[in-house]
This record gives sequence, structure tokens and C-alpha cells, in this order.
Amino acid sequence: MSEKTNMPEISIKNVSMVYTDSHGNPVQALKDVSIDIQKGEFISLLGPSGCGKSTLLRIVSDLLTPTSGEVKVCGKTPKETRLEQKYGIVFQNPVLLDWRTVRKNIRLPLEMMKVPKEEQASRIEQVLELVGLTNFGNSYPGQLSGGMQQRVGIARALAIQPDILLMDEPFSALDEFTREKLNDDVLSIWRKTNKTVLFVTHNISESVYMSDRICVLSPHPGRLSAVVEVDLPRPRTPEMRATPEFAALVAKVRNSFEGI
Amino acid sequence: MILKKSKSLLNILSTVGLPVLFGALIYILWQTKVLHALFGTDEIILPLPDRIGSIISDNFTNMLPQIASTLIVALGGLVLGSLLGYFIGVAGAVFKKWGMGGLTIVSAFNAIPLVALAPVINNWTRDLSNQVDIRSTVAKIITVTIFCTASMSVNAYRGLTEVKPFSEDLFASYGSGKLKMFLKLRLPNSLPYVFTALRVSVPACVIGAVVSEYFAEQVVGVGRQIRENIVKGQFPTAWAYIAIACAMGILMYVILLIVESIVLKNRRAR
Amino acid sequence: MKIINKILSAKSTVTAVWVLGIVVIWEICAFIVEATQRTPINVLPHLYQIVGSFFDTKPITGGGDTILTLVMSSAAETLSRALIGFIIGMVLGYVLALLMNLSHIVEKIAFPYLMIIQMIPILGMAPIVLSITGDISSARIIIAAILTFYPVSTNTLAGFKSVSRERHELMRSYGATKFQLYTKMLIPSAMSYFFTGLKISAPMAITASILVDTLQGGNGLGCMLSQSLKGSMTRFVFWDIVIFSAVIGVLSFYLMGVIERALVPSKRGKKKKAVN
Repeated sequence: MSEKTNMPEISIKNVSMVYTDSHGNPVQALKDVSIDIQKGEFISLLGPSGCGKSTLLRIVSDLLTPTSGEVKVCGKTPKETRLEQKYGIVFQNPVLLDWRTVRKNIRLPLEMMKVPKEEQASRIEQVLELVGLTNFGNSYPGQLSGGMQQRVGIARALAIQPDILLMDEPFSALDEFTREKLNDDVLSIWRKTNKTVLFVTHNISESVYMSDRICVLSPHPGRLSAVVEVDLPRPRTPEMRATPEFAALVAKVRNSFEGI
Repeated sequence: MILKKSKSLLNILSTVGLPVLFGALIYILWQTKVLHALFGTDEIILPLPDRIGSIISDNFTNMLPQIASTLIVALGGLVLGSLLGYFIGVAGAVFKKWGMGGLTIVSAFNAIPLVALAPVINNWTRDLSNQVDIRSTVAKIITVTIFCTASMSVNAYRGLTEVKPFSEDLFASYGSGKLKMFLKLRLPNSLPYVFTALRVSVPACVIGAVVSEYFAEQVVGVGRQIRENIVKGQFPTAWAYIAIACAMGILMYVILLIVESIVLKNRRAR
Repeated sequence: MKIINKILSAKSTVTAVWVLGIVVIWEICAFIVEATQRTPINVLPHLYQIVGSFFDTKPITGGGDTILTLVMSSAAETLSRALIGFIIGMVLGYVLALLMNLSHIVEKIAFPYLMIIQMIPILGMAPIVLSITGDISSARIIIAAILTFYPVSTNTLAGFKSVSRERHELMRSYGATKFQLYTKMLIPSAMSYFFTGLKISAPMAITASILVDTLQGGNGLGCMLSQSLKGSMTRFVFWDIVIFSAVIGVLSFYLMGVIERALVPSKRGKKKKAVN
């Protein structure tokens, strides 16, 4: 699926992040992390709480500035990329505006990007169909279930037609059944749109099921302890979860954690 | 690291320093009569701060009975109102369906103008005693009590009923009865809510005391002195009493905050 | 049977029963007062007497005013000032909250004073404000404005501050301008907090205006109230104004809720949750 070129789409080089906690002590959230991500690749950042995976995602998306090290996205700084509105971010909490309908929630970023009215409408319908919520466009978020709310969050991220989709534990608040359904949905959207995806999760089997590569992060200090290539064929199907290959990969990932 | 430390020091300095500077600026503007020009008033109606200060320090012993009278009314009403409010909250929590409706009514009482309340209550206590000071004090305390009841009852109800999910089930699984559940779960759970209510009713009790004095039979109290002195044209003395009323409000609130921080010390999430 | 149960358990029924209960208790007390007191009208008249007097067509002043027209004209006088003060206080409070959220320096200067205003008895300063302005209408407006100002300001600021980090990050990831951040995220998010402030201050603004009235002669509700107390007109004027101002105070609170529901779409009746 991934089209390998010489220049990586996202290059993370020797990134470290230190912040001070409430007692004034320095905490090393990330230490010397380097990852190259190719265009169209599906990459997971996997690790327990405190390993710095969300911090890394926020550094890539210019929501945080690293203490040292450098991130380049297509040769540009994260800030430039953010201002070009090439990032679509999906948070753990769908962060929907409860005073707007589903349609108007998806319209929010388009309003800011000054997309013409007619195009706004067509894009909204397009992404609504992609996430299977065409009939719920006029509902308010408060009327939707957690899984549907997260679909709206994904649709909103896709509406700006980003080059890179950043997902920060998007399904961790959902039950297992909804989560697996959404895993398949995200994979099919990814196949249709061919975006680069950076996917943060603490669920091992989810990361194996979804990714091309898994970057395993270990805590104290947050560091990259292994990169696991997932060679399962695409498209992935729910039956694969029961195969020995899948189990072997899960075990391999589990064994690569350090110091927990 | 040194940079970080100096940054936080700067932070503290600006948090304390900026408001103090602003206060000093107002003080200077007042003392140099710029404020008078701004409001188009004179030194008689708006006396200089040092004059107000000297009146308080010269007459403090004479002012003490007035302060005591207001304090008795404010604290008496606060205590009675809080107890009554808590009791109503308990009743509401025990008889949930009907209690909720009652609380709606009680919170509506909150919106009734205090000025309408005070004279009515004066009428009620007229035949209570031959001594004007007793019946007048009772009337004022009742006014403040009513003024302080609503916020406590609503908050107490919430504190008694909004327990952590499943904790009722947990207690039921221990086979504990309603009384035990009340004493060991609901009562402690309501404590922070009680302080939320007090943050509203402590300032309210001072306001209630001051305003009820305006309508009281007996001419006594800090609030009444403000009004009487203005009627007599003694503006500096009126200002002195205003300053005292403000100081009472601030002092009681600060005491409340200290008590709250001690009582709820271990409750706060770290 | 089922319908009866449904009616009995409805929230409005519960409230109605409570109101009825209060009326009954009032009437019982009124009967006791009537039997034991020399001047029951001063202590507790019957509710029907109060309501009846309100619509009595007999003029009570030299000018031929009935109680109804008198109360209404005084109410117009007082409440219009309360409303002006309320609007001024609301606008100033909102602007201060905005400035405090925009600038750390403004926040640091103003916040302690907002806290202090909260602790001091502003109503106790009504007489001095009246002396400074020398004009009852401006005094009403100023006191109402101050009492509206700080609940609106503190609550709106709390609303701005309560916007979650993720909501900020979402806007930042879109490269939103400050203007967009405020108009599309912060201001709508803080709406319910703003209305909480308005609900607190609306009855207070009315109380303040009536209180200022009582300090001086004139045409306001409070002026009539104190004149009636002094005996220069029938006691029913007093009772009618008490009931009237209580009702207006409560209504002003509910009115804010009605306006909020009209303005904020997600506050309009929540429909049933859809299932996934």
C-alpha cells in the first residue's frame, strides 16, 4: 500500500521533550526519538500511559514544541504544515461542539479555511457518507452514541482533505465491539483516501490489526524501544484476528516493551 | 532551571504586585482628589481615605456595639439559615420525588427581593416582646435566615444525592440500612457542597443584616448607621461604617476559606 | 388509573402541589392572625384580600389612581431603571471577562477586585451612591449595574476557562485566528456560564432598584412600599408590592432561562439518544 520514496513524509529526528511537573521537578517525557514515516503509511505509536506517545503526536502537529530535536513534514516545519491546514486530528474525546448539528460540526474547519459554500456542502455529504452517518446530519451530538460521535470526529478531520491524519487514542473510550467496527471503518477510509496515518493507541491487538509498522514506546523516560513491521496482508479482515500469525505479532510486540 | 525559577518568582510578583499597584493608584487618585473631579463630587460627600481612617480609629469603641449588633444578626441568621437549609436538603433527599419539587420552590424564594421580605417580618414580630431590641433583633435574624436558606438547601440536596456512581449499590451489598448509608456515605459526601453553599451565604448574610437594619424598628447596626449618618449629612462617618461593613464581609469570607481549606484538606484531588 | 399516576408523578404536578400547600398554610395562618390580632392586615391578610385589592377599582390617591395603576406606574419607573442597569452591568461584565481572558495583566489586576466585590455588601452602599449621584434614577441604574456586573463577569470568565485543552488544540490544528477561536469556540462554549451569571443577577438588579427607592421619596415601587408602611396610604399597597416584586423577581430568573433556551440550540429539549 505504501508508496516508498526517498524523502519521508514525516521525519522525526532526535526529538526530546522535558517539562516540569507541579512540584517543579523536570520530567523527561520523550528521549531522543527518531522515526521516519513514508507517504501513505499507517503507523501506530503504541505504549502504556506516560510513554509520551500523545506528546509525540502533539509535537508532530505543532500543538507542542519539543525541547530539542527536529520534526519535518515534507521538508517543512510542523507549524508551516499546520497553517497550511494539512493535518486532520481526531482526539480521544470527539470534541464536538454541542451547540452545532453534526453537519455544522463538520463544517467548522471548512468555515475557517474559507472553502466556498457549495463545496462545503458537497464535502460534508461526502465525508458523512464515508463514515456512514448520512441520516444523522441534522442531529445534535448529545443525541448520538459514543461511537457515532467519534465517527463525526473522523468525518470532521477528513472534511478538510488533510494529507496527514493524526489520531490520538480515538477509540479508547469505546466498547470492544464498537471499537472493532470502527477499526474496519477507518481502514476502509484509509484505503479509499490513501492518507498518511499516525495512530496513537495503548491497545496491542488494535495496533497490529491496523498498522503497517508499530513504533513501540516505553515509559520513564519515554523512548522508542522497538519498531515492529506488520506483514499481514491487506486488506485486513476480522478473521485475521484469530490467525496464529496475528497472535505471533501480538506476542512479539508485547515482548518488545521495556521497563514497565 | 534558574530561568524557570525566576519565571515563577516573576509570576508570583505580578500576581500580587499588579493588583496592589492598581489599588495604590486608586488610593492616590482618591487622596489627590482626582476621583472627586471624575465623579463630579466633593470632599464632603466623598471624604478622603485618611479622614475615613482617622474616624474609624478615633471612634472604634463607640462603633463596637453597632458592629456587635450586626454581627449577631448576620451570624445568627447564617447559622439558623444554614441549619434550616440543610434540614430541608435532608428532607428533600429522603422524600426524593416531593423533595425535588419543594426545592424548586425554595430556590424560587431566592429571587424574592430582600427589601420586600424585611418589612413583612417586622410586622410579624411586633407582638413578640415588649422590648424593642429583642423583637427587632429577632425580626432581622429571621430575615437573614430566610436569605441564607435557599442556597444551602439546594446544595445540601445535591451533596446528599449526587454520590459517586455505584456507591449506593456498594453500601447495599454490605447490607447497610438507610441510616448507615446516610451517615457513612451521604453526610460526608455533602460536606464540600456545604462549603459551596456557604460561599454564597456568608456574603449574603452580611448584606441581609445590613439591609434588614434599614427597615428595623430599632436604630442600631452598621447598616443602619450608614443610612442615619447620610440622612444627618455626616458623610465621613457613613463612609467609616461602609468601610467596616466591607471589612466584615471580607473577614468572614476569609475565615470561611481558611476553615474550608482545613476541613477539606484531604478531599482535593492532587 | 395509569393516566392518574402519570399526572401525579409529573414534575409540574409536584410543583403545583407545593404551591397549593404554601397557599393553604398562608390561609391557615391568616385565619389565626385574623382571630387573634387587632390589625390583621398589618400582619398577614388573606391572599384573596391581597389579590382583590390589587384589582380594586376604588381610587386610593388624590390623583384617582387605583392600586393596580399605581403599582404598574411605579413598577415601570423602577423596573425600567433596573433593566438599564442590568444591561449596562451585563455588557461591562462581559467585556471585562473577555479582556481578562485575552490579557493576563488585566486578569491579574481585576480578578482580586472581582473577588472582593463579591464579599462586600454592595447594597449597603446604596445610600452613599444616592448621595453622590443625587439622583434616584442614576443611583438605581448604578447599583443594579454593579450587582449585575460581577456575577456576569466571574461566571463568563469561568466559562472561557472551562473550555477543554482538546477544544483549544482542535482550533489550533486548523490554524484558527484569535477572532475565530473566540467567535466559533470560546463564546458559544461559555454561553451557559454567561446565563448562570444573568440568572443570579437579574433578581439582584430588581432588589437593588427597589431598595434605592425606599431611601428617598419618589414614584418607584420602593417609595410606595415605604409610604404604605408609614401609613400614608392603605396597607394593601404594601402587600401588593411585596407579592408583585416577589413574582417579578422569580419571573426575571425564569425569563433568563427562557432566553437561554431560545438562543442556544443544544439547550432546546433534548431528544432521545439514537443507538449505534
